[in-house]
Amino acid sequence: MTMKQKKNRNLRTCATLVALAAVAWFGSVAANPLLADPSTNAPAVSEGAIQAPTPPPAQIVHKLTGAELYSIHCNRCHPERYPTERTAATWKTIMLHMQVRAQIPVAQSRLILKYLQDNSGR
Amino acid sequence: MKTNVIRYGMAATTGLLCLAQAQAARAEVSDADFNALKELVGQLSQEVHDLQTTNQVQNQKHQLDVQQIQDLQTKLAQTQQTATEAKQKSDEVAEVQSQPPPRVPIDEATVNHNFQMLGDAEFQYDKTSGQNGGFLLADFAPIFLYRGGDNILFEAGFDTILQNGSNPNSVPPGHDMGYGTTFNLSFAQLDYVMNDYMTLCAGELLLPLGTYTERGAGWLNLIPDNPLAVDSLIPATGVGAELRGSVPFGESGQYLEYAVYGVNGPSSNDGTGSPTSLDLGGNVGLRNNNAVASLNGNPSGGGRLGYFMPFYKPHYDVELGVSGMAGQWDNTINSHMWAGGVLDAALDLGINFKFTGEYIMTQYGSDAGEVTQQGWFAQASYRLAGLNLELPGINNVQLVGRYDSVHDGINPRVERYTAGFVYYISNTFLVEGDYEFLHSPDPTQVDDFLLQLSYGF
Repeated sequence: MTMKQKKNRNLRTCATLVALAAVAWFGSVAANPLLADPSTNAPAVSEGAIQAPTPPPAQIVHKLTGAELYSIHCNRCHPERYPTERTAATWKTIMLHMQVRAQIPVAQSRLILKYLQDNSGR
Repeated sequence: MKTNVIRYGMAATTGLLCLAQAQAARAEVSDADFNALKELVGQLSQEVHDLQTTNQVQNQKHQLDVQQIQDLQTKLAQTQQTATEAKQKSDEVAEVQSQPPPRVPIDEATVNHNFQMLGDAEFQYDKTSGQNGGFLLADFAPIFLYRGGDNILFEAGFDTILQNGSNPNSVPPGHDMGYGTTFNLSFAQLDYVMNDYMTLCAGELLLPLGTYTERGAGWLNLIPDNPLAVDSLIPATGVGAELRGSVPFGESGQYLEYAVYGVNGPSSNDGTGSPTSLDLGGNVGLRNNNAVASLNGNPSGGGRLGYFMPFYKPHYDVELGVSGMAGQWDNTINSHMWAGGVLDAALDLGINFKFTGEYIMTQYGSDAGEVTQQGWFAQASYRLAGLNLELPGINNVQLVGRYDSVHDGINPRVERYTAGFVYYISNTFLVEGDYEFLHSPDPTQVDDFLLQLSYGF
């Protein structure tokens, strides 16, 4: 394989990865209802109707619960573990480990821990 | 009754008097008769008086009985009230007892419950093309955790592997006597959560070059073998210190993650700058002659920047990251640099589909010139539960495929196609199997069939 062929192969590989990342990125942004804009779902107003002054559109952001964050994060690396598998005290140690290892934000880690402890095996 | 007796007595007396008057009117009454009659009247009067007295006594007794009955009724009402209250209290106690006991806050100061063991164990059957198939106890890999309060964690992982006696000079090869057990420290680090956005880690660190090393090894991966490029191009661990953390954006779960670190870095396994002497993991600060020193003059530094974003609903998310590391790797006069970079991506589309991939490129100087290495892998998996087929056991099956390749800059490129499956006996007990089609100019690198029993604990 010549140097030119090697360079072409490298370029193709990079381009494929970048394209894949770009598609995933834009696809996820376009389909993200967690950041829904209510103005796009507003009912149609007939022409000539007196319109009350509309407030500036605000983003409705769904605040994720501990259970949702648990579903989001845990399954990324391993099958979900049931909250009843551990006690409240051991979940605290394990969540600190997972928080550091998977770089879960501390605020989200707290919510997940509360969910696990509330439903733990005592 | 007594009143009637009195009435009848009085009526009889009156009748006798009238009768006597009538007799007197008709005839003369003798004194004797008169006196007898008088005595009789006196007796009757006495009886009437006795009866009145008796009646009074009976009335008094009756009043006492009535009073006693009223007292008893009052006491009965009080007893019934007490019984009702007791029943209510009993019901309340029973209700409280039927509920789970309230959770008591953990007393961190007096209770030692912070020690925890996690990890995994794998048992393998391996059949490489041209070799006899064999069972092997591949790995027992516990992770010990000790949490000191809310912000400090010590974690250490080990690998225990059993293998035949490993004299490399045995003739024929692999027939050394007996067997041996290797016990390796995979990582050991102290973590201090400084605040919500920064954690200090120190020790033998799992390096954030990509995410596979930190989050994909052992039973976490769906294929028993690691990607070729991850195993051969980048160091898995380094001894040093690291700052890491993540910064969330809004309430939708997005966050930016970062890590910066300094470690001893790679070294030369024979002290030369030969291109084949690069040793990615052998510079741990304590030399084999017990000298406490790095094997080269300058440490390595690196970092990773990643972005995670959930979308649509839970289990739909994407993570992209870029990471790199650079430093001196040998200690010759013309000291050489080693540098590596990784692009990583992970995509979850529901609970059933998962994609991960990494592209790795490294470059290092040597006495023979620059050596450029590169490799990548792309892995996709799908749980058949997503097909909603009503076939026995099929919902426990996950199919997985991976392509990976590596070019170490010295030997020709190696490519591998892997097709496999995972069968979930439970959420932590898995049967994994795969066939690896290897394309390598090296005749010792051949196709491989792996069957593995994995348990995560």
